Amino acid sequence: MESRTLVTRQARGRTVTPTPREQILLFRVGDTVYGIGLRGLWEVLSPEGVTGLPTPPYQICTVLAYRGRKFPLIRLSELFGASASSVPPTARVLFMQAWGKPFGLLVDEVVEMIEANPARIAPVPALATLLNPAFFRGIFSQGDRVVLVLDGDGLGSMSEVVNFYGG
Amino acid sequence: MTQASPKGGTAGQSVGAQVILFQVGGKSFAVDLALVEQIIEYREPTRTPLRPPYVEGVLEHRGRYLALVNLRRRFGLTEGGPAHPAVLLLSGVGKDPLVGLVVDQVLRVLSLPSEGVLSPPPRVFGIRAEYIRGVANAGGRPIVWLDILKVLTATEAITLLT
Repeated sequence: MESRTLVTRQARGRTVTPTPREQILLFRVGDTVYGIGLRGLWEVLSPEGVTGLPTPPYQICTVLAYRGRKFPLIRLSELFGASASSVPPTARVLFMQAWGKPFGLLVDEVVEMIEANPARIAPVPALATLLNPAFFRGIFSQGDRVVLVLDGDGLGSMSEVVNFYGG
Repeated sequence: MTQASPKGGTAGQSVGAQVILFQVGGKSFAVDLALVEQIIEYREPTRTPLRPPYVEGVLEHRGRYLALVNLRRRFGLTEGGPAHPAVLLLSGVGKDPLVGLVVDQVLRVLSLPSEGVLSPPPRVFGIRAEYIRGVANAGGRPIVWLDILKVLTATEAITLLT
């Protein structure tokens, strides 16, 4: 579900172009706050039902059991190199869909929902990370905070997700 | 430093340049002034996931986002460093429109006369010649004029001997 609202500002005697706004969900992995747009995001779940796959690559991808079915669960702390031995009590699963396939993203904490101007989401500098650039939609500032925005489609095309579905 | 040879070139051609002189690990280095858009104070960047070991994170500067490269770390210096380093904002280097280079201290702008720039020997302060545009002398101190594009884009380690 994509949530965009147009904010129309009335100015004296002038027609003002509405500023597009998009809702971005902010969440924490390790010490860093990231964001993700709502497109493709179905639910935010508690991490009950998370079990380990019996064979690698279980460190990044585990299994989420939900509503009687099993789905791949990407542990973002492992993917981002911020791994911890345990799942914190604030952890949540962002249950989403990309390329027609459901999967989950395990995050340390959901922080808040904000509105951002999508035109202000800039490309992530190439030097900034060794991860696949497809995982990131871009970067923007919210006050003093700089937020990396993840790309659900890019994460959904990870080999771990594709292989889970026998792709 | 082993013997360096004069930079080759056709007689009458000038290869002098204006550079910014700075220090890292007690050694003097230079980059082309034309690449330096601005010098700013250091501030903590936002840490990015799985970044190269010498990249500290990302900074926002006047609406633009740049990776912050720590030159001490790029040169393999793991300890020490000043409390208030400086940041050179470089443009036109590599894929990113803007890169921040963290250095110990910015000294001054310097004009390198063409006859004063020598081709580097195989290594200078432990740094291989492929990363060096030339070596010069200022006030009796050797200056390493860096090929900053290669320093930033090469994947192998570079070790500065202090």
